[in-house]
Amino acid sequence: MSTQKEKDRLELLQGTLDLLILRTLIFGPQHGQGIARAIQQTTEDELLVEHGALYPALQRLEERGWIAADWGTSTNNRKARFYTLTRAGRKQLVKETTKWRRLAAAIGRVLGPEAREG
Amino acid sequence: MFWRKRKQSDFTAEIEAHLELETERLKEQGLSEEEARVAARRAFGNVTQAQERFYESGRWLWWDHLVQDLRFGLRMLVKNPGFTAVAVMTLALGIGANTAIFSLLNAVMLRELPVQSPKLLVLFGKGRAGGSNGMLPSTELYSYPFYREMRQKNQVFSDVSAMMSVLFARMHGAVGGRAELEPMDVQLVSGSYFSMLGVKPVLGRSFTAAEDEPGGGHPVAVVSYSWWDRRLARDPAIVGKTVTLGSTVYTIVGVTPPGFFGTAVGESPDLWIPLSMEKQVSPGWNGLDDKTFQSLFILGRLKTGASVEQAQANVNLLAKQIWRQHVGPVLTQRQQEDLQHAEIELTPAARGLPHIRYGASLPLQILMAVVGLVLLIVCANIANLLLARATTREREIAVRMALGAGRGRLIRQMLTESLLLALSGGALGVGLAYWAGNGLLALVPHGPEPLPLDVAPDARVLGFTFVVSLATALLCGIAPALRATRIALGSSLKEGRGAVSAASGTPLAKALIVSQVALSLVLLIGAGLFLRTVVNLSNVDTGFNKENVLLFGIDPPSVGYKEDLRVVSLYQQIEQRVSALPGVRAASISFFTFNQGEWTNWVSVTGRTPAAEDDMMVTHNVVGPGYFATMGIPVLLGRTFGPRDTAASPKVAAINETFARRYLPGGSPIGRHFGLGRDPTHSNDIEVVGVVKDAKYQDLRERPFPAAYYPYLQLVQYVSDFEVRYSGKPEAIIPEVRQAIGQVDRSLPVAYQGTMAEQVNRSMAGQILIARLSTFFGLLAAFLACLGIYGLISYAVTRRTNEIGIRMALGAESSGVLWMVMRESLMLVAVGVAIGIPAALAAARLVSSVLYGLKAADPITITMSSLVMIAVASLAGYLPARRATKVDPMVALRYE
Repeated sequence: MSTQKEKDRLELLQGTLDLLILRTLIFGPQHGQGIARAIQQTTEDELLVEHGALYPALQRLEERGWIAADWGTSTNNRKARFYTLTRAGRKQLVKETTKWRRLAAAIGRVLGPEAREG
Repeated sequence: MFWRKRKQSDFTAEIEAHLELETERLKEQGLSEEEARVAARRAFGNVTQAQERFYESGRWLWWDHLVQDLRFGLRMLVKNPGFTAVAVMTLALGIGANTAIFSLLNAVMLRELPVQSPKLLVLFGKGRAGGSNGMLPSTELYSYPFYREMRQKNQVFSDVSAMMSVLFARMHGAVGGRAELEPMDVQLVSGSYFSMLGVKPVLGRSFTAAEDEPGGGHPVAVVSYSWWDRRLARDPAIVGKTVTLGSTVYTIVGVTPPGFFGTAVGESPDLWIPLSMEKQVSPGWNGLDDKTFQSLFILGRLKTGASVEQAQANVNLLAKQIWRQHVGPVLTQRQQEDLQHAEIELTPAARGLPHIRYGASLPLQILMAVVGLVLLIVCANIANLLLARATTREREIAVRMALGAGRGRLIRQMLTESLLLALSGGALGVGLAYWAGNGLLALVPHGPEPLPLDVAPDARVLGFTFVVSLATALLCGIAPALRATRIALGSSLKEGRGAVSAASGTPLAKALIVSQVALSLVLLIGAGLFLRTVVNLSNVDTGFNKENVLLFGIDPPSVGYKEDLRVVSLYQQIEQRVSALPGVRAASISFFTFNQGEWTNWVSVTGRTPAAEDDMMVTHNVVGPGYFATMGIPVLLGRTFGPRDTAASPKVAAINETFARRYLPGGSPIGRHFGLGRDPTHSNDIEVVGVVKDAKYQDLRERPFPAAYYPYLQLVQYVSDFEVRYSGKPEAIIPEVRQAIGQVDRSLPVAYQGTMAEQVNRSMAGQILIARLSTFFGLLAAFLACLGIYGLISYAVTRRTNEIGIRMALGAESSGVLWMVMRESLMLVAVGVAIGIPAALAAARLVSSVLYGLKAADPITITMSSLVMIAVASLAGYLPARRATKVDPMVALRYE
């Protein structure tokens, strides 16, 4: 039932979803569907984010106090639950981003210069 | 944080909003309503799973599971009422026994005094002594002048108070001007006592500082709440009423709060009177201005911030100064040395003065260990029951696992069931302990009345019981739960009854039986040792004839007698009148009888210098002429006292064999002289006129001790003991004795205190208690072990029915079958005994100090106990084995 295109998408690494959510929220409050859309758009549909998987992550982040949530009205006048980045969340984002960059760079060094596809 | 922060419905609404938004967006991209809805759903993934994950992320999920488990557990227990009843009753017995003994242990050894910040209280010395000490310096008992000076000059206590080291028990007084006298316990305390403890009276006031001033001008009393309740029905107008003791009328000024029992565990004064009234309360105790009459305990309350070490340094510095003044300007060599070595040890007194703690600690610890072992056996028993039940539930468990229940979840479910059992048992056990508590106290025969101790379970006891119940649940539940969930699904679902399964029960079940046998044997051997100790003690030659003697207590000072010839004539008249009664063989007044206190002092003998501190120590008694006949103490040499020994005649004494042998060796002791005290220049004015047989004076275990008896005519004393040797029935004699004493002085209080044999038994009360309880629990343990064996073998026989049937069809003798089944249980018992004996030997070594007349490794006890264990365990195995021989081969084979 999944198309070929979907199969080519990258599976999310453990823990990266949290980072993506925090990063998305840096532009202002957003509801779950908006976050999902934003991730998909910014990654140009490369990442497979099952919308349903977003919610446990949101729940977790909320419990840790990195994001806060409240019901509000969306641009097209629908009730939705909006998530906001907290001060702690902002700090966490900086921390996670640095960590991620270092990790990516390190792995990049191990793998060497990009080989030609073929 | 007591409930999930977000409701499930809120979460569902959020998901719905998400799907709506996504559908809308897709519609904008040109999809139809239907297509958009499907696509949104697909992008979302599994909605139910998301909801479930949300649900499981709730921190209180375990609570939901617990509620489920509890509900299911309760249903299971109700469905098997027989199993539940047996298990809960067994657990109640085990946990209840632990709770009961722990309540006692708590009251005696753990509970803090109900006073303000008890942790700041310290006692001068260890609180071991009692009475009075005439030797300076004394580091256990202190004089009144010492207390006053210490209180004034110390820099480490916020306050200091003193109390008489002995309780004046059963004094006779009249309440509110009533005519009749009633017994009451009186404690003398310093004026600072209540304020230092921070005890605020519920009615009236406590003592004032002025009431500490000697001179007898402060006849006031504070009464205990329980006495106010018991004797005065909580009369609200009690303050201002009076109590008459002797010739002094005391005004009641206050009532202590409920629960306050003074500062000594095991005592419970009815009245507190200022120490300044010492002479009026007890004319024999006159130490207010006597620096060598050291009879007080001193309690201090540390200043906040002061450590015990600082306090100890300050106290000792001060004490040496005070003692030096008290000894006087000229010090002998010995006094100088004594002063140098004297060191007061401050001991924490948060739990009050130790009193009964010294004697009761070890017995209580032994009993605690005994009931602990019983609980272990109960656990093993319940574990076996649960195991057996798990087997019958194999199918249920297999079905649940096949339907996807996790093993962890099932284990938790089964543990919840054992928790329910243990908690029900615990709750019932607390009830049992509450009911048994006072009975247990009555079993501690401490005097004519039970020990005044509050053993009702308090928060600590309930906490203990709760923790014990939890531990019990884990201990008896974990193994069966692990075992039950480790099953092969396939075979269990097929209801495979193993056609031939040689082993009866699992290794776990067998191990449980073995441990039960071993633990029971430990208890049985312990019980045997304690029983034999009691038997040995009962067979100890007391040196007097304890049969056919009645004990009475009289209280001459309460009705105004002074220590003079009038009281002596009272004694004489009582002896004469009672001796003349038909059925009375002899009667005598005495200062003490067996185990009722003692008066020890040094003696001096011409030409003999004491070798060590305790050399030349003698226990003294003041008696009537008929004492030796009444007590049945044989006279070995010379004579006892008679009419010729008067106040005017030369002083005489009768001594025991040990006195004669030790201090007056070489030739007959008759006619030789000694003196009281340690003074080497003593005139040694007492002549030995007789030698009597050695007797026990304080304790059945004591070694022969030098003793001397004096006629009361020559050593005028208040005495309170009166012994009567009778023939016939005591019920008839007691009222006649009372009547005869009444004819001498109608007002004199007389109390019947039981027979001499009872008095002797009372002295080994702790032993009897341990023996009784350990025997009870030992038999209970053996019974439980037997139940376990019976259950295991019965089960094995049932499972092997067709195997046995085949064997018998093939010609096996029934004796062969019997042996085959018996062999199994005998093996278990043998292993249990083999483990139990060394364990018992190790345990017995710990209690060897309470044993008498036998060693911890007493071969007779060990053999007897082992034989008893093997016999009852074999019987438990024999009954089901016998059933196996009755198997009808035809029935057994058709059974399959």
